[in-house]
Amino acid sequence: MSTALHPVPESAGEEDYDWRRLHPVTPALRGWKVLVAFVAVIGFQMSEMLRDVAEALGPGRAWLVVLGAVLVVGVVGFVYSALAWRVMRYAVTDGAVHLRTGLVFRQQRQARLDRLQAVDVVQPLLARLLGLAQLNLEVAGGAGSAVQLAFLRESEATALRAQILALAAGVGPLPAATGPAASQDPASQAAVPPDGVPPAGAPHAGQVPPGGAAPVYAAAPERQVYELPMSRLIGSIVRSVPPWFLVVAAVAAVGGSIALGDVGGMFVLVPAALGAGGYVWGRINTGATFRAAASPDGIRLRHGLTETRTQTVPPGRVQAVRLSQGPLWRGADWWKVEINVAGYGGAADAQAGSVLHPVATRAEAAVALWLVLPDLGVDDPLAALDAALAGVDTDGGFTPAPARARWVDPLTRRRHGVLVTRTALIMRSGRWWRSVVVVPHERTQSIALEQGPLQRRLGLASFVTHSTPGPVAPRVEHLDQHVAAALLEEQARRAREARAVAGPELWMRAAAAEIGASGEVTGAEPPHAQAAPGEPHVQAAPGEPRA
Amino acid sequence: MTTSPEAHDPAIDADPFDLHDVAWTAVSPRLATARLLVLGIWAVVLLGPTVALAAVVGAAWLWAVPAVLAVLLLWAGLLVRRQVRALRYAERADDLLIRRGILLRSLVVVPYGRMQYVDVSSGPLARRFGIATVQLHTAAPGTDATIPGLPPAEAARLRDRLASRGEARLAGL
Repeated sequence: MSTALHPVPESAGEEDYDWRRLHPVTPALRGWKVLVAFVAVIGFQMSEMLRDVAEALGPGRAWLVVLGAVLVVGVVGFVYSALAWRVMRYAVTDGAVHLRTGLVFRQQRQARLDRLQAVDVVQPLLARLLGLAQLNLEVAGGAGSAVQLAFLRESEATALRAQILALAAGVGPLPAATGPAASQDPASQAAVPPDGVPPAGAPHAGQVPPGGAAPVYAAAPERQVYELPMSRLIGSIVRSVPPWFLVVAAVAAVGGSIALGDVGGMFVLVPAALGAGGYVWGRINTGATFRAAASPDGIRLRHGLTETRTQTVPPGRVQAVRLSQGPLWRGADWWKVEINVAGYGGAADAQAGSVLHPVATRAEAAVALWLVLPDLGVDDPLAALDAALAGVDTDGGFTPAPARARWVDPLTRRRHGVLVTRTALIMRSGRWWRSVVVVPHERTQSIALEQGPLQRRLGLASFVTHSTPGPVAPRVEHLDQHVAAALLEEQARRAREARAVAGPELWMRAAAAEIGASGEVTGAEPPHAQAAPGEPHVQAAPGEPRA
Repeated sequence: MTTSPEAHDPAIDADPFDLHDVAWTAVSPRLATARLLVLGIWAVVLLGPTVALAAVVGAAWLWAVPAVLAVLLLWAGLLVRRQVRALRYAERADDLLIRRGILLRSLVVVPYGRMQYVDVSSGPLARRFGIATVQLHTAAPGTDATIPGLPPAEAARLRDRLASRGEARLAGL
């Protein structure tokens, strides 16, 4: 099977699409899952009944029965998976990715490329050992709307991802013959970053497959912008609540056992240890080897210990960003950066997919924010970010909650604030659990004003913007009600204007149209990537951010 | 505390939820009647058994249950009309405004370009009263843009208008 796929035009008609099968090992991997699920469900749910059955049968035979049952379920699961695999096909056209599944209930699903929100290559442990990978195409359709191609050979999955991203970017299929001349193409010209790496999705000159003029899509060049060291990940877990909770519980249980002379109290520790262990393992497993790279195809994130995941979020797909910090992280000045992406919201593993940086230093947090929003819309982005992360009241030009808000929120009042920049809305909140939310104007879905009875008496109102499903829920509490109403009106207008000039969904065409002669696209250098926190930076003209 | 600007000027003590030059449209007062009827059904369902129980058992303290329920229902009944009166919407050139609530007030601005789809629904009781509900959906689940209590003709008109405007201003996500 060649990795070079001819993109058939979407209009060719279903039967003319280039339908392909998934990797033949797929049923074995899926059948295995059925077996594990069966054993787990039976083991946990029906252990009582099993014990009775085992007693009735006698010790020798019970094992045979259990083994037989597991074998039967395994075979049935495997056969079903194999039959399901036989009918499962996928096809890539120039407008969509189609997936046909279903043995009994036929289903054909298509992911439109212009609605593509993210492309993930996921490798669970077993698949990884076999050199297989799963390709997830996220579209904004709520839970279960993703098209999952499981499993493909790893090289095939990455090649397919490159092709899908190139098609979605609007670079379009180019015959291999024009490969060497690709630099004459305006889209690719615009995409060439300063260091002269070949552009995204353009056919790679040297990679014409043997015996065919089919185009091969090279993966977009990418530059790593940050990486999470293991030591910091472990430090961040040590500085979180669950391990300490476990320590306190352990001390209490041991102390109690000694005082009472009864070892029974120690058993309380088992569920606590399991819970804390699960939390720690989850954090390590998703956060380990976390790397982020900028590429013309958008943000590329790689992470995972046993199950690895490579996410690609194209430009303009991030709906909102949140930087948050708990009290234990303050000393180290670490921040967790999370994003709302329309495709991830409904997914079961939304938590894993929505993290842009699990533990960022302040400088890295600035870079992470830059990945999403290259232009923060203020003259001095780092100063504005500092004011947002640690400032209170009017620091950095923020519009804060008025002093009378102390009657409804005496503790965190001074942190509530909002800053409107040319490109985004920055909302600040939380005194001990600090949080900063950034929403680009053109990503505002709908906005609202809310007022409770106490707020009404005090002339306050809360300003809310609604974002797609995800960890970020942008709102500012307790603004002056007239300020909030003015903000509502202005924001409605600003969001409309930003939408009007926002680029088309085909991001490379947008870049080509916008850049023309020279300029930087997402693949360029982060403005302050190397700047240490607090170090004076070049653009440090005292900003006059609009409030 | 001294740095925060006290923008509380009594001169501009207008209601901030009344955005200027916005012509609000109220929903049908039949919505209040429908809601009162639902409340009445609840009153029968809740008060009947509790009163019967108190009467059968005969303990004086058991009467407290229906008494509390009656007070709550009466309060809700008195609020219904005001709540329905507070429910208003306005169509502007580029967005739809919906305001609601007396105690907990909210004002939602939904840009037409952000609309994913529009629902018009009408249950058996609502049909009897000749009202329908129009609900706008954006890509954000937090968008609570529901207008209950519209006459069916107005609901259909609003739906078509929203759909055509949404199409004209459509902007991805």
